[in-house]
Amino acid sequence: MTRLAALVALLASWELGSRAQWVDPFLFPPPSAVGAVLYELARTGHVWVHFRVTLWEAVAGLALGTAAGAVLGLASATFRPLGEVVEPAMALLNAVPRVILAPLFVIWLGIGVASKVALSFLLVMVVMFFATYTGVREVDPRLVERVRTLGGGRRDVLREVYVPSVSAWVASGLKVAVGFAFTGAVVGEFVASSQGLGYLLSFAQSTYNASLTLALIALVVAVILLLFWGFGRLERWWLRWKSADRRTAHPAPEPAPAAGPGQ
Amino acid sequence: MSALRVCRLGVRYGQHRVLEDVDLELAEGEFAGLVGPSGCGKSTLLRCVAGLLRPDRGQVTVFGRPVSGPTPEVGILFQDDALLPWRTARENVALPLRLRGLSGREARREAEAWLRRVGLEGYGDHYPAQLSGGMRKRVALAQVLAAQPRLLLMDEPFASVDAIVRHFLELDLLRFVTDAGMAVLLVTHDLEEAISLSDRVMVMSAGPAARIVQVQPVPFRRPRDPVAVRAEPGFGPLVEAVWRALQAEVARMGWGLTA
Repeated sequence: MTRLAALVALLASWELGSRAQWVDPFLFPPPSAVGAVLYELARTGHVWVHFRVTLWEAVAGLALGTAAGAVLGLASATFRPLGEVVEPAMALLNAVPRVILAPLFVIWLGIGVASKVALSFLLVMVVMFFATYTGVREVDPRLVERVRTLGGGRRDVLREVYVPSVSAWVASGLKVAVGFAFTGAVVGEFVASSQGLGYLLSFAQSTYNASLTLALIALVVAVILLLFWGFGRLERWWLRWKSADRRTAHPAPEPAPAAGPGQ
Repeated sequence: MSALRVCRLGVRYGQHRVLEDVDLELAEGEFAGLVGPSGCGKSTLLRCVAGLLRPDRGQVTVFGRPVSGPTPEVGILFQDDALLPWRTARENVALPLRLRGLSGREARREAEAWLRRVGLEGYGDHYPAQLSGGMRKRVALAQVLAAQPRLLLMDEPFASVDAIVRHFLELDLLRFVTDAGMAVLLVTHDLEEAISLSDRVMVMSAGPAARIVQVQPVPFRRPRDPVAVRAEPGFGPLVEAVWRALQAEVARMGWGLTA
């Protein structure tokens, strides 16, 4: 509630300051003007073409990156020699800002969709690799023993312990990866492209159109927040067993001693 | 045929000899307690019997068959209950039943019956995180009993629950294993717990190279009430006899106050 009030106050003072010319309205167009641009973009349908392209690139990067990261993480965690090579490479990739590779992808893959998907893919893959790799290595050995002593074989251990344990890590990783997928797509377009939200942004910047720039930033942020929220919900549902909330309205009392089997 | 026969068992970690020449035998349906100084290798012995650890020397035979790996015939209850956190209480108890080949519906129905027997009716849909420590222990007990092992191994199973809950759990446990004719090997620090539940208490020597140094028969008949039995006139002298043996071992490790 306080945060909402602060946001409203900020927007109101911005609007007021811009209209009263306390700040340069060319550099800081009032929120109402930004809103008008957004509305105009939506009405003409002009932005949807670009939006679709960016969304496509992000989704493709997310899907491919997740698949590749998961497979590589799984293989590296189960096959030691591979892990010894791949893990440091991934750690290095994780340490450097991966977006600096964007120009290279443009040279290699052209200014079309492929170079953006590649960047998005790379950003996502590193995140998902670590989610899977850590997930497999963090499997509780006590649970493995439990299933084995209850009569489970290798496949049972895999199904009952490894898959749920790793998927918990993957679910958390996905939430982060969504943001990265969009970053990759937009930054890729920003570097060189002929369509997409990043292209529009770069166009708005080159014409010093602050209200269009702000409108596009607002749009991208809104989409990422929406996806973030969606994946957050998905994660909460998927990992509902982690929550210690009792389903009963009242804390359950310690149950009475059991009745004998004969009773 | 004996339920368990351990013959000249030896285990070493590198140069460190943990167990050496451990001999012990358990009759069918017998409840045996195993006490010993901390770190003497009691848990290592249990892991060998469960097939989770391969001994370096000697042999472990369960119901006449040499142990080569975990089998559903041998059930284990560890101190830290390792329930599957992503499975509800009912699904956890149903797991050994499904592994035995029961259909999903049958397994769920039988799991529900086991939950009722350990006093957890209506908690089937709870995840372990939503249950108290004592309740999780009950689920773990139901899970291991549902597998219907013929030999049950327990490693400090009730160490982490409070004394009152613990007495209820002991009561339930003793009734179940007596009814099912299950052989039990219970590792514990608690002498009175060992004596009040067991038909026989074995004392293990201090490590390294630990082995069984004393076997104390417990003359109280089962079924018995593990709380009421503590008031029996013979109980005190039994505790003292086992304590003397244990004390000698603890003193040998250099921790005791008496020489």
